[in-house]
Amino acid sequence: MTGMTARGEALRTQEMTINMGPQHPSTHGVLRVILTTDGEVVTRAVPDVGYLHRGLEKIGERVTYAQFMPFTDRLDYLAAMNCNCAWAWAVEKLAKIEVPERAEFLRVIVAELNRISSHLIAFGSFTADMGAFTPFLYAIRERERVNDLFEMICGNRLTYNYARIGGVSGDAPPGFLEKTKEFLDYFEPKIDEYNNLISYNKIFVHRLANVAVIPAEEAVAYGMTGPNLRGSGVPFDLRRDEPYSVYPKFDFKVCVGTGERGKLGDCFDRYMVRINEMRESVKIVRQALAQIPEGPVMAKVPRVFKPPAGETYFRSECPRGETGIYVVSDGSANPFRLKIRTGSFVTMNIFEKVTKGLMIADIVAVIGSFDIILPEIDR
Amino acid sequence: MEALARSLVNFVPVLGGVPLWTITLLVMVASAAVVLVFALTFEGVGSLVLRKVAGDIQARIGPNRVGPNGMLQFLADGVKLVLKEDIIPARADRLLFRLAPYFVFVGSFAAFVVVPFGVGLIAADLNIGIYYVMAVTSLVVVGILLAGWSSNNKWALLGGMRAAAQIVSYEIPVGMALIPAVLVAGSLSLQAIVKSQGGLFGIFGWNLFHDPFAFFSFLLYFTAAQAETNQTPFDLPEAESELVSGYNVEYSGIRFGLFFLAEFGDMFIVAALATACFLGGWNVPFVSVAALPPVWGNLLSLGVFLGKAFTMVLIMMWVRWTLPRLRVDQLMRMSWKYMVPLTFVNLLGVSLWLLLFHGKGIPQMIASLFG
Amino acid sequence: MGLKEYLNDIMEAVVTTVKGMRITAAYGVDPKEEVTLQYPEERWEVPERFRGFLHNDIKVCTSCTMCVKVCPVDCISLEAVRGADKKMVLAFYDINIGRCMYCGLCVEACPVKSLKHTGGYERASVDRGELILHFVHEDAAEIKARVARQVAEAAAKAAEAQAASRAAEAPAAAKSPEAPPADPKAAKGEHRE
Ligand code: SF4
Ligand code: SF4
Repeated sequence: MTGMTARGEALRTQEMTINMGPQHPSTHGVLRVILTTDGEVVTRAVPDVGYLHRGLEKIGERVTYAQFMPFTDRLDYLAAMNCNCAWAWAVEKLAKIEVPERAEFLRVIVAELNRISSHLIAFGSFTADMGAFTPFLYAIRERERVNDLFEMICGNRLTYNYARIGGVSGDAPPGFLEKTKEFLDYFEPKIDEYNNLISYNKIFVHRLANVAVIPAEEAVAYGMTGPNLRGSGVPFDLRRDEPYSVYPKFDFKVCVGTGERGKLGDCFDRYMVRINEMRESVKIVRQALAQIPEGPVMAKVPRVFKPPAGETYFRSECPRGETGIYVVSDGSANPFRLKIRTGSFVTMNIFEKVTKGLMIADIVAVIGSFDIILPEIDR
Repeated sequence: MEALARSLVNFVPVLGGVPLWTITLLVMVASAAVVLVFALTFEGVGSLVLRKVAGDIQARIGPNRVGPNGMLQFLADGVKLVLKEDIIPARADRLLFRLAPYFVFVGSFAAFVVVPFGVGLIAADLNIGIYYVMAVTSLVVVGILLAGWSSNNKWALLGGMRAAAQIVSYEIPVGMALIPAVLVAGSLSLQAIVKSQGGLFGIFGWNLFHDPFAFFSFLLYFTAAQAETNQTPFDLPEAESELVSGYNVEYSGIRFGLFFLAEFGDMFIVAALATACFLGGWNVPFVSVAALPPVWGNLLSLGVFLGKAFTMVLIMMWVRWTLPRLRVDQLMRMSWKYMVPLTFVNLLGVSLWLLLFHGKGIPQMIASLFG
Repeated sequence: MGLKEYLNDIMEAVVTTVKGMRITAAYGVDPKEEVTLQYPEERWEVPERFRGFLHNDIKVCTSCTMCVKVCPVDCISLEAVRGADKKMVLAFYDINIGRCMYCGLCVEACPVKSLKHTGGYERASVDRGELILHFVHEDAAEIKARVARQVAEAAAKAAEAQAASRAAEAPAAAKSPEAPPADPKAAKGEHRE
């Protein structure tokens, strides 16, 4: 970049390298972004991941199938139920275990409740990143209610470890289903409140609209999944397009970005997809509550569980995109090889591309709109 | 000040032997001390109220551990700030780094001098009061820029640059939005402006209701002033979620405390100016304070002034806890594309109004209709 | 940008701001909305299934080591010796709650339900050693010595009885066998995890 001095000579200005993170309030954990900026304009933003690497996949090869369940809680701690269930579904697919229907319903109920709570955090932390701190606390308040429900059914508030291979750890305790319904009744009007409070606020819309636009083809080419892909207008949702569990029994809409305030695929669309998905999740849970059958919640699984040799890939729709689990069994009690594909990690690929030419404040918006979570990226 | 000293001498004849300049100096120091104590108390209590308001709005309780219902939280905070280690980064520019907080604090504190707290309660009734405030609060930008530069931290530098750009851009709309009040009163002295809003219309003597343009001036002033003092939604220089904490990121201990105090000082100054220029200042509706005995008149007017000013501060806090933050280019666009033209149009409107209606406001005209 | 759009922009900004502020004001003035729990004074009711600190009822525990085997992070350690009555006696049973992730797998695995979650969740400590819960309060060496002694006594008794019966059978060959050594290592069935 050059300017002119008074004498008409070219004035050299330097680009500046800034380290954003790993300790930064808006990188949603320990993401480090190396920014090259020209004043406030970012010319290059290179994400540097791996600060939270714990070798989950390797741990998986060391422990038994059942023992890996608590580790899936740590895969995405904001949506631990979804990861629990994904692991259970994957192993059940590998070992061809029939799961009792009630267990599947319970799984879907908790998974969708967890989707709500995860999207609440996405919404809340996103608004906090944009400078409005109040919606964040409202979101946390609602999430607490979901946590209360989870605590009731599985005994913990963050690392649920609820699903089991072949079912779930416990049937819904008395009052759980009613309380869930109560929560849904309480929660649904809150979404409109959020929209009035912040979603359509002029400043908020201006901060998000037309920022980091990802066209549909590009999103597909980069392998984006989940709300980030749908934000670009691609109606792809594994729950509907590759149905698993009891999802085919439910009627719900796949929310996509509409470009209502700017170009299709901008930060605002990704944000709105999450807000709308919360409504859809409420719908699914309502239907599940109405249809849930009686019965056992655990299939007969031998105590020393050894799936037949073979391999399988199972993917499910987690709040942050597709979580795919590839597991190879050699017939022993431990997985032979385990690989987990997570939504956030794949989403980070496009980060450098879309952040070119944005401002520093927009980087924060992009990170927030991707709703990344670091344990999923680093595993 | 000299006049005050002279009256003091007349009042207490014993002082006759002391040279007048000594007494004047003492009076000056005393009034400065009073203002300082007020400023510090306000800033302390302000921080508590801010957190309490935040708590209420965010469906939680807020500080409630120190003292009854958390009332003494600000003292605890103050003690903590004083006792904390004052860290100066190794590669900072030590002199500037130490100097910066004082610039900021002085800039905000010096403005308290001309705030008309009551009928006779003003530390110095300067005849250019408004412009004194605007000039002296500009000192803050120097301090912030110094703080950002001297910290040798890129985030701080960005914060400092943002602050400089922002304060300079919003100085213009702030000034333009205040001029209508000056025009109506025909004086730059804050005391004179307040007096011009008296009258027996109750609240209708206020400049706020003088004419529609004056009303808009008030809104424009309030918005622009929030930006000038870096309040949310214009708190870009310290943008917590982008610049970590902006220009003051490297500060700790009492130096950070000074920035913190200055922030609340600025808040009060904005509220006080809005009150004095548009909301009738210390004028009490339906009561002529000046006619009361001095002690009661002053107390009553002080109460009314503070009441109005604190209401404004509360509104600022309310805005702060509702709105998200603008982006830096949007901030500039808002200033140059919206605020500046609007304030100019507004100023034109007020001037025309004053010219056409011979300086009469709407309430006055209505009153004259009824005789 | 036309004038109409310009004014619309301003209008929209004002309207949406006012909308948002109405909501925050509603929360601001309604004291019932406060959801904070005043923690040390108020406590939330821990649900029945709450997975708090672990507690092992050592009277019931059979030292089967199922819990040790199932724990993914190896935070349970136990040592048991076979007692005189052929039952296992715990020498020590420790849980390192600094490492435990409260996953509950051990509780599910326990066949006699002696291992349970309690409702406890408060244990801050400045010393990691304090985070190791000991469920057997006696000294492990003492227990082992005692059990060994009991085993030895029992063995001696058994030998005596045997000798007596043998003596009764063949009084000519009346010679008592040697008592087993008092070394606890000799106690059969000892295992260590
Ligand atoms: S709760 Fe989990 S981590 Fe803790 S001891 Fe039991 S199995 Fe191990
Ligand atoms: S599983 Fe139960 S009975 Fe077996 S050793 Fe552990 S606590 Fe004791």
